[in-house]
Amino acid sequence: MNMVKAEGLTYSYTKILETDHGTEEQTVTALKQVDIQINKGDFVAVLGHNGSGKSTFAKHINALLQPTEGTIWVENMDTKNDELLWEIRQTAGMVFQNPDNQLVATVVEEDIAFGPENMGVEPKEIRKRVDEALATVGMSEYAKHAPAKLSGGQKQRIAIAGVLAMKPKCIVLDEPTAMLDPVGRREVMETIERLNKEEGITMILITHYMDEAVRADKVYVIDDGDLVMEGTPKEIFSQVERLQAYGLDVPQVTEVTYLLRKEGIDLPEDILTTEEMVGAICQYKSTI
Amino acid sequence: MSIQINHLTHIYNPNTAFEKVALDDVNLEIKKGEFIGLIGHTGSGKSTLIQHLNGIISPTSGEILLDGENIHKDKTKLKEVRRRIGLAFQYPEYQLFEMSIYKDVAFGPTNLKWTEEEIHKSVVNALEMVGIPESMYDKSPFELSGGQKRRVAIAGVLAMNPEVLILDEPTAGLDPKGRDEILAAIKELHDKRGITVILVSHSMEDVAKLVDRIIVMHKGKAAMQGTPKEIFAHVKELEQMGLAAPQVSYVFAALKQKGYDVPTDIYTIEEAKQALYTLLKQVKV
Repeated sequence: MNMVKAEGLTYSYTKILETDHGTEEQTVTALKQVDIQINKGDFVAVLGHNGSGKSTFAKHINALLQPTEGTIWVENMDTKNDELLWEIRQTAGMVFQNPDNQLVATVVEEDIAFGPENMGVEPKEIRKRVDEALATVGMSEYAKHAPAKLSGGQKQRIAIAGVLAMKPKCIVLDEPTAMLDPVGRREVMETIERLNKEEGITMILITHYMDEAVRADKVYVIDDGDLVMEGTPKEIFSQVERLQAYGLDVPQVTEVTYLLRKEGIDLPEDILTTEEMVGAICQYKSTI
Repeated sequence: MSIQINHLTHIYNPNTAFEKVALDDVNLEIKKGEFIGLIGHTGSGKSTLIQHLNGIISPTSGEILLDGENIHKDKTKLKEVRRRIGLAFQYPEYQLFEMSIYKDVAFGPTNLKWTEEEIHKSVVNALEMVGIPESMYDKSPFELSGGQKRRVAIAGVLAMNPEVLILDEPTAGLDPKGRDEILAAIKELHDKRGITVILVSHSMEDVAKLVDRIIVMHKGKAAMQGTPKEIFAHVKELEQMGLAAPQVSYVFAALKQKGYDVPTDIYTIEEAKQALYTLLKQVKV
């Protein structure tokens, strides 16, 4: 079953350039004929350098942008159908990079209630949803706190709770850990994985951090508006040179393995984690 | 030029319910030409520390000596302190505001009332240092990519000809290419121009690659100091402070635990490759 499906998804816009002879119009195509299917219940990562079109893609899932050509469906709902807009946004929630830009209230629980209130949910049900959402992200004890006084990781978990209170089936996260320290990043990643595994919510994570992407079920790479790679983390990250050509990184252990293989040491090429690397080295040592 | 920090303590909102000790008796020395990595989790005191160095906030007690002189003693000299110790804030591109790249970078020197000629020289020099070519001088800074914007913003600090450059999370939010561009520019500033650099970062990989010495802040104290080799050999202690070591450090810690004879002070990809090559090429006797 598809959570998100796109066929020929294209997005172009006109950019006005100031030149010596006045203004000039230029058409920029941020997404070019993208075909993609994201399964329900999957945790997927979308990679690409800045300006590759990955955030433009993310905004289509939430119908913040509509395709100029082609179609994108969120749970079979065409995002170009304005009558379905509310339902689409309720199905696919969005969390942005900067937590300070998405918290609206002065008290944590009021912030989380904002979404369901706007949807016209009964007050009793709102109370229930807020409590549940806070418990899910492990922030119940902060219900009465001021969001401004929380750490970055805590703020992002509140932002996620705010989306959860709308009972989405899918959450799109656009570089949610870019502004966080290692502890904050870990908190947010654990929350994302738990919601995926325990609540079955489809998670679409846009990121620059390869150690986050290796934890996904599936990885997509977007480059200059084209969907250029898709596969399991192992299939994607074993192609070190190709990823580097797209301006992306691989995990440190994957790069070390790649360099050792170039020296003729026959380690498996799809090593992604510390544990896998240690295991492969022990195995190698026991065979020579 | 050296910076000497003696018994520096800073308390926010003293004698109120919100009292918070952000810096607690910090003693540090930063020598001319050093490349320092300043790490610590959010709330560890590292931002409070760098704001003191630039004279933005004053100590509750203790002192900061720049070449033996207390920088907070004479407030009229703070402007000169800020010129000598330049600070590029987090997301410095948010502070770009001028019509052209050239004008934006010239803003600092113009305020310092330098002559036209001096301003021109410093702007050209600063932009060259961060790798922005002359052909781009008249462009609007807002037309640039994220990495380029940030380099222009850093050039704005460099144009004032600082002896020390403090960078607060210069790679946050950039993609790998933008990150590599910025780090290469910073490395060149240090290596070729001899500028003392203090790099505040959450990325242990970046710190491991570049700096001579690491200062770890924890709960308002300078908890650890040493070369990257010394610091990253303490994976456990770093984790307890909410930090991490580069990924390859963990591989060597695990191999050591399994009884392999490997060094445990490995933290860059190149070192890891060499050490593993040696290990894997050894033939059983």
